[in-house]
Amino acid sequence: MIKERTWGWPIASYLFLGGLGGGMLVVSSAADLFLDMGTAFSLGTLVAAVIIGLGSGLLVFDLGRPLYFWRVFSKEKAILTVGAWMLSLAIICGLVYGSTLLVFSPWHGLAGLQAVFAWICLILGVGAAIYTGVFLGTIKARPFWNSPALPILFLISAVSTGLAAHSLLVHFWAFGATESEVTIIARLLHRADIVLLVVEIIILMVYVLIMRYSTTVDTARIAATWLSGSKKVPFWGGMLCLGLVLPIVFYLVPTGATLLLAAVLVLIGGIILRFLVVYTDERVMLPGEEQFLRWLPDRDEAFLSTWEE
Amino acid sequence: MARWAMVIDLRRCIGCQACTIACQMGNDLPPGMFWNLVTTVGPTGSYPALRLYHIPRPCFHCADPPCVPCCPTGASTQRDDGIVIVDQDKCIGCGACIMSCPYGARTRNEKLGVAQKCTFCVDIISQGKEPYCVSTCHQRARIFGDLDDPASEVSQLLVSENTMQLKPELGTDPHVYYIQP
Repeated sequence: MIKERTWGWPIASYLFLGGLGGGMLVVSSAADLFLDMGTAFSLGTLVAAVIIGLGSGLLVFDLGRPLYFWRVFSKEKAILTVGAWMLSLAIICGLVYGSTLLVFSPWHGLAGLQAVFAWICLILGVGAAIYTGVFLGTIKARPFWNSPALPILFLISAVSTGLAAHSLLVHFWAFGATESEVTIIARLLHRADIVLLVVEIIILMVYVLIMRYSTTVDTARIAATWLSGSKKVPFWGGMLCLGLVLPIVFYLVPTGATLLLAAVLVLIGGIILRFLVVYTDERVMLPGEEQFLRWLPDRDEAFLSTWEE
Repeated sequence: MARWAMVIDLRRCIGCQACTIACQMGNDLPPGMFWNLVTTVGPTGSYPALRLYHIPRPCFHCADPPCVPCCPTGASTQRDDGIVIVDQDKCIGCGACIMSCPYGARTRNEKLGVAQKCTFCVDIISQGKEPYCVSTCHQRARIFGDLDDPASEVSQLLVSENTMQLKPELGTDPHVYYIQP
């Protein structure tokens, strides 16, 4: 409590799951609207809604008073309130939309209903994937997040992980699609993911390198921890090589095993990105603060908890 | 209407932490929870030209507080007299305001699960008393008062002394002013 309490793994995991679910909704609704391939994505759409639900559950779990989570709906103008609405609607609309795609559901084939929900899911998917980046980007207390590139990076990563997750699902259970259709869909997903991975590499590198040369020393110092400091291994090795470059290589060598591995690596890359960002939460240091934190006794938390007992 | 503000004279502060303890006692804070840290800068320079000073850090009750618009429940608000408060009955402990405060003024009370911070001791200043940290300061390094009253000591000090705010470039306009050492 002497050290500031900051966000940890539940929020990082939520950022990944929320982005993944949103990205999957975007992919399936876009495939339905523009390529007429909706039926093959029915399972993925339902899974997307469940994933967003899981992520929202983590958000509630991280609250100080989880039982009162419904109060987030009580204010109009906060980004988090808008986000909470989008997440809730994305879960509901995702489930409804996914059910319209299932061939055995009674309302399957109602073209109007399906198209309306496809558009709604497209918008909500983008919203759920991007609002977290917008929120982190508006926090000027944390210099590394305070950038317009962060929401874009989150959105690209969300759609890219969404494509990867869909390609895995299509592989294992492509509902109502023939084998040749599955091959075509999978190839399409892989190609689209290659494009997005390249774009993501560009945005990520530009983001970190420009932050490295930011106007304020704090921002530059924090960005340097990614490039050459304490986070260089997860950044260069994990995020860039494992999560972005290797999947492109594997996608370009299309055998069954490499394609599966590529999709899994894309998902891992999405997780690493969210954890890197959430744990790069250094505040602008105030005079004397570094020394104060250095002087704090070791294991004071343990002492305090014993004291309270 | 008043606009409460504080001037802290860094030439007088000796870093004794009495204000930190008075705040904890008066506001009944659990052990390990602080609303008012005192950090030390230095010693810098080389002997005999050494320099060391202390910065007490309450909530700055900014004119444009970043912790208010980010709150999704409306628990974090600013009163008309400038004091930023957290409504304990509305807060759900999401941490948005804790992350948004550039000055690290907020902490989460893990027992209650809500965000808390320095309140300028709202309940006792309404009785005409001074906040605990001010009344306990034996060096008179802290001066509390109303900026809307030109005759108040804080208004006078802002005119006569060379005061500064912490990180004014963030545009938050803190209402705790420091007289530089």
